[in-house]
Amino acid sequence: MTLWFRQHRYALAAALVHLRRSPGGFLFNILVVAIALALPFTGVTLLDNVRPMSEQLSVDPEISIFLKQDTPREQAEALAVPLRQTVRDKQAKIVFTPREKALEQLKDKSGLADVLTTLGENPLPDSYVLKLDAFRNAQAGGDVDQLAAQIRALPGVDTVQVDSAWVKRLAALLNVLRLALLLLAATLGTVVVAVIFNTIRLQVMTQREEILVSKLIGATDSFIHRPFYYTGALLGLCAGGVALGAVSLALRPLNVAIADFARLYASEFQLAPLPPLAMAGLLALSAGLGLIGALLSVQRHLSRLN
Amino acid sequence: MIEFRNVSKQYTPDATALRDVSFTVAKGELVFLAGPSGAGKSTLLKMIAAVERPSAGQVIVNGQDIARIKPAAVPFLRRNLGLIFQQQRLLTDRSILANVMLPLLVTGASRAQAEQRARAALDKVGLLERADAQPLALSGGEQQRVSIARAIVNRPQVILADEPTANLDRASANKVLDALKAFHSVGVTCLISSHDEQMLDAAARVIHLKQGQLEVAA
Repeated sequence: MTLWFRQHRYALAAALVHLRRSPGGFLFNILVVAIALALPFTGVTLLDNVRPMSEQLSVDPEISIFLKQDTPREQAEALAVPLRQTVRDKQAKIVFTPREKALEQLKDKSGLADVLTTLGENPLPDSYVLKLDAFRNAQAGGDVDQLAAQIRALPGVDTVQVDSAWVKRLAALLNVLRLALLLLAATLGTVVVAVIFNTIRLQVMTQREEILVSKLIGATDSFIHRPFYYTGALLGLCAGGVALGAVSLALRPLNVAIADFARLYASEFQLAPLPPLAMAGLLALSAGLGLIGALLSVQRHLSRLN
Repeated sequence: MIEFRNVSKQYTPDATALRDVSFTVAKGELVFLAGPSGAGKSTLLKMIAAVERPSAGQVIVNGQDIARIKPAAVPFLRRNLGLIFQQQRLLTDRSILANVMLPLLVTGASRAQAEQRARAALDKVGLLERADAQPLALSGGEQQRVSIARAIVNRPQVILADEPTANLDRASANKVLDALKAFHSVGVTCLISSHDEQMLDAAARVIHLKQGQLEVAA
């Protein structure tokens, strides 16, 4: 085990020595890889911020039920019973709003009291609002649609409006974004692997004599390959760190603009950096991509020196 | 220790480096390989180090058949060989001490242990005081002595030297030869290729090669 650690420590030191010998090239490579990584990292950060918001919005979807204008009050109030039977096992809150109360609320909220007074009679119908508790996310939107269809068939019901429809749209949009991000990440991940593949190729060429001499004095393939693996992983790790740092820095000016926009909707929404565990995961992924690039390059270019 | 049995090496149909060569080198022997350029001396040494494989025949080194040795076993075979090249092949991006430490580091020795033994090896070739110098700051003769230190630092059973004095003046060549003889005197088998007449005249055993064939096995 001591030998194993010693050989890995030697490989890491050798990788650092070679990187230190050409700091300009190393920094340039970090920059190139970091730019490629920064785009998907930004996407991950945005999705991570939007996801909890969408989950919160999708909780308690509402179904507004508007009754026919000529429905007598008694029949309207009695509709609560079949409604409750339709909802059955689902936890739901059923609120009846008489047309008079609805008009009062409209006058209070819209500031159109004067206009509504000129109408003479109340144009609003009696209505129910069903606040569902059993649908915790937008995926359950199909169940809500089914329920709405059942309610629509009840006597005296004129219009049924599912207020969670837009949540479904948001969820669908997020799914599209997630897929697009995955494709973008795969493409840019390939770019990262290609950049590191080429970097290691150049290093193999630069260290050709050292590799050949090492082979002649009894170095095993793993002894020769290991420093290149460390170089690739270090390159990926450093680039990942730079990309995450850049994304975190970019959030500041972005949050200023978002704050102005969110204020229009009485919201204090802000983009937050990724949690430490997610950052550690992205760093590990970056190092992994670097390692893959190095593995492919070493396999291809060092085998030619045998 | 080293045995060639009817060994031939053909690179292409038109380029034959060795033809039906047979000889044996016993443990602790000092043997010179003589012959003009292109006679096959380097090819012969490369075969012993498993850099080349024979096209026909058998090369046995320390009981291992070079034609059949697995690639993974080659590094371990080479750790028992000390290789000295005509163009020293020192790594110019590090000190001569670091060059001499390298064969030990590849075997997994600790840095401290490698440095201690590398300094001892440099002391044996008279270059300890220059341990921290860069290879390019040394003369050709000194560089060759560094390569000898690198070859013997692992305490090999066999030293293979390919024209070690070819580019050196007489005084430097003698120092290199004296160093090699010193290691032979403590039981190390040495196989040295050379066309230096003065060196060959003083040799106890010389294997002559001409156009890939054994001329005289003394």
